[in-house]
Amino acid sequence: MSHLTKTNEAFWWSLFSAGGVMAALFLPVMIFVTGFVLPFMMGEDVESQQDRMVSLVTFWPVRLALFGIIFLSSFHCAHRIRHVLMDFGLRWAGVALMICCYGAAAGGAVAAGLILVRL
Amino acid sequence: MPEPTITLDVFRYRPDEDERSTFQSYDVPYHEHWVILDALNWIKDHVDGTLSYRWSCRMGVCGSCGMMINGDPKLTCAAFLKDYFPATIRIEPLANFPVERDLVIVMDDFMSKLTSVKPWMIRDDTSPMEEELLQSPSQLAAYKQFSMCINCLLCYAACPELDSDPDFLGPAAIALAHRYNLDSRDQGTAERQDILGAEEGVWGCAFIGECTEVCPKNVDPAGAIQQAKVAVTKDWYKRMLLPWGKR
Repeated sequence: MSHLTKTNEAFWWSLFSAGGVMAALFLPVMIFVTGFVLPFMMGEDVESQQDRMVSLVTFWPVRLALFGIIFLSSFHCAHRIRHVLMDFGLRWAGVALMICCYGAAAGGAVAAGLILVRL
Repeated sequence: MPEPTITLDVFRYRPDEDERSTFQSYDVPYHEHWVILDALNWIKDHVDGTLSYRWSCRMGVCGSCGMMINGDPKLTCAAFLKDYFPATIRIEPLANFPVERDLVIVMDDFMSKLTSVKPWMIRDDTSPMEEELLQSPSQLAAYKQFSMCINCLLCYAACPELDSDPDFLGPAAIALAHRYNLDSRDQGTAERQDILGAEEGVWGCAFIGECTEVCPKNVDPAGAIQQAKVAVTKDWYKRMLLPWGKR
C-alpha cells in the first residue's frame, strides 16, 4: 500500500454500532411498551393516561434511558446516511458530509434532551 | 443425433493486437460432467491456442481460475456447464482488476495490499524456539475458518466498495490479517493495526456482504472485517483514553 490515511472513524463507528443495538433491540421494545402495553393497561381515561405517562418519563432513570436510546439511534441513522451518500458518489464531500449528518444527529439529540429535561 | 453444443462468449483482449476488448463466441461440445474450465481448455486445445487464462489444480484448491461467469465471480473449475445449458455463457476476467490479456488479470495491487498486512506469524523473540507453541482446540477454532482463504480474489471482484474506492484494502487481505491477529501464537497485532485502522483499511467496508456470498471456501470475510472493526475500535479508545498505556 503506497499511502495510508489516518482516521477517527472508530469513534463514529462505535456510536453507529451502539446505536444499531438501540435501534434494533430497545427502540421496538420501547415503542411496544409505551405505545401499546402501558396505554392498554391504564384504562380508557386519556387524561389520566397522559399524566401517568409524563410521571413515568420524568423519572430520571427513564429520562436517561430515553435520551441514550434517542442519542445513539440518531447517530446510527446519521452514520448510515453518510455512508449511503458516499456510495452515491459524494465521497469527495468528506468533512462537509460529516458535519451535515452528525450535526443533524447531534441537533436532534440535543432537542430530545431539552424536551426530556423540561417535561 | 449430433452432439449437443453450448456457446461460450469469451472476453478477448490482446494488448499487442487489439485497441479495445471484444467478445468471441465458441461452440463447445456439451458434456454434463464438464465444468467451464474444461470448456476453456477444449477451446485452447482444439480451436484457438491464443486464448489466455490462469488455471492450475482443477479442484478448487489453488484459486487461480476465478472469472466472471454471466456477471458473477466464480471458480471456473467449480461451475458446471449443466447449470447454464442450453443458454450461452458469458465469460469475463474478474471485475475490479486491470486486464493483462484475455481472461488474465493484473494482481500487483492485490499482492501489495496482501503483503502490507503482514499475513504471517510475527513473534517478539525471533530466536529458534526450544518448545512447540501448543494450541487448544478453542484457540484453533478462533481463526481456522479465516485460514481457509485461497486468495482466489472472487471476493475482490464481488466487492462494490472496491469498485467505488480502489484503495480499499479489500476482504481477503483483511480476513487474513485478522486470521493472524486471532492466532494465539502470533504477537504482531500492533504491527497490523495501523493499516487495518486506516481509512483504506476496515473502514472502507460498509458490510454489504457480497464477499461472503461468493467465497468458494465458505470463509466469512465480511464477518472478519466486522470483528476487525471491533478490535480496531477498542484499540482506538485505548489510545485516546490511555495514551500512556500499551496497545
